Amino acid sequence: MTPPPEIGTMSPLMMKLFENSKEAIFFFDKTGRALAMNPAAEEILSADVLINLYEGSENALCGTCRGYTSDTEQQTCLDCYMKMPEAEEHTSFQVYLETKGKGVVPYAGSFHTVDSEQGTRVFMLRDLTPQLRIQERLYQNTMTRHVLEAQENERKRLSRELHDSVAQELMSAVVDLRVLKYMTNDETVLKKVKQTEASMTRLLDEIRNMSVDLRPAALDDFGLEAAFRSHFKRVEQSYGLVVEFVSGLARKRYPSNVETVAYRICQEAVLNALKYAQVDTVSVHLFERDGMLRLEIEDQGAGFEAGSDPVGTGLGLYGMRERAELAGGTLSVLSEPGIGTRVLLQIPIAEFLVKE
Amino acid sequence: MMELYADYQRELDAIRQTFGYDFLALALVEPAEQQYVIRWKYAAGNRNERFRRIVLKSGKGIAGIVFRTGKPVFIPSVRDYVRASSLFNYPIIQSEQLESLGAVPLWNDARVAGVLLGGFRQEHAMTPELMQALKQTAQSGIGELDGREVASQ
Repeated sequence: MTPPPEIGTMSPLMMKLFENSKEAIFFFDKTGRALAMNPAAEEILSADVLINLYEGSENALCGTCRGYTSDTEQQTCLDCYMKMPEAEEHTSFQVYLETKGKGVVPYAGSFHTVDSEQGTRVFMLRDLTPQLRIQERLYQNTMTRHVLEAQENERKRLSRELHDSVAQELMSAVVDLRVLKYMTNDETVLKKVKQTEASMTRLLDEIRNMSVDLRPAALDDFGLEAAFRSHFKRVEQSYGLVVEFVSGLARKRYPSNVETVAYRICQEAVLNALKYAQVDTVSVHLFERDGMLRLEIEDQGAGFEAGSDPVGTGLGLYGMRERAELAGGTLSVLSEPGIGTRVLLQIPIAEFLVKE
Repeated sequence: MMELYADYQRELDAIRQTFGYDFLALALVEPAEQQYVIRWKYAAGNRNERFRRIVLKSGKGIAGIVFRTGKPVFIPSVRDYVRASSLFNYPIIQSEQLESLGAVPLWNDARVAGVLLGGFRQEHAMTPELMQALKQTAQSGIGELDGREVASQ
């Protein structure tokens, strides 16, 4: 690095800042030729760009710059910060650089004149990757929550519609049919009516099942315990799988989002046991301890090796964890091949206790 | 009723013996008091009792499809027919570990009143010939079911 003439006159403190700063610092003269850059700056540039910069080739920085973020575009070269007159300089902006070994990296950049007489300008860069990553995660979490919420609400609406109007209407038709049976002695008519009644009763049952599959009304009306009991009964009827359910809840109701999370996670865990564990029974334990709602789903089935290639999509566990985190809870999955699997969900409810 | 039970079971055992099925089961519609649900009522060669707990849904699972459509289902290879990820939609295949099977409707009074399912724990053991024989068995009637597809009057 060739220090510009002024650099020798810097105070030791300034020198240290220049030498050791994690921020990349470049000095340019008024023609856009590089005067100096610090080690952090040299680190991010590839060899050929570095040579071009030191040789003072025109637009040497363009070899690494991939545009800055303007009002209208994520990455643009329009109104390049290098070419702006002093009065309109961008003092803080987001800029993308092609870096050595790390690809295109976003930086918070600042470009301004430090010596008006000479036209010396400084370009400083701070790596934005961690901030952006955090922001993105935050955004994703919010989005996930919104998506899950929207999904639950839509399911609730459809479920209610099916249960309250479609099933109701069909029910009265079935009742009419039953009445019809007493209005005739004609054997053939009676037989036909009975057959119709049978298929309509099954249809009614199917609609109720669809309604519960979407979102059990019991979850909103009676809480977790009731919803679980009816769900497990249905699991038994659909798959022949017996769920041993033990519940020791201190209270009947919890905040709606906590109930939803617990219900959906349990649903998924039981379905997992059904799909992969090759068992006839699963035990589910629901209780409260130390201000935590705890849900344990356990089977003595096939089990799996943590981190091994999933038999299914592998998204189920991820989704369960995601849901647990949205309710501020934690999910742990313990499994051993040949011994079984245990899923434990814990959701803090202390806050709720205080409110009551 | 006891006699009827013995009838169906004996017939199933006999059919299984004749054709060499690993698993043979009969699903029937329950009476009005049971909301007319469909259940596996009789089985031969079963590995466990899980099938007894299952309530079939019309249109779902092997028997459900046969029940709703009134058409036979022939699966020479479960692996080709069902993807592993949706195997849980077919509880009877899973719990009895069937690898090939066939299922035919049982008609009574021009309605599907039951489903007869024959399966093997071996791929390609269910053949078109066996399928044909299973259809004929169902058509000739089982127990009190007349096997007639078209109404008599």
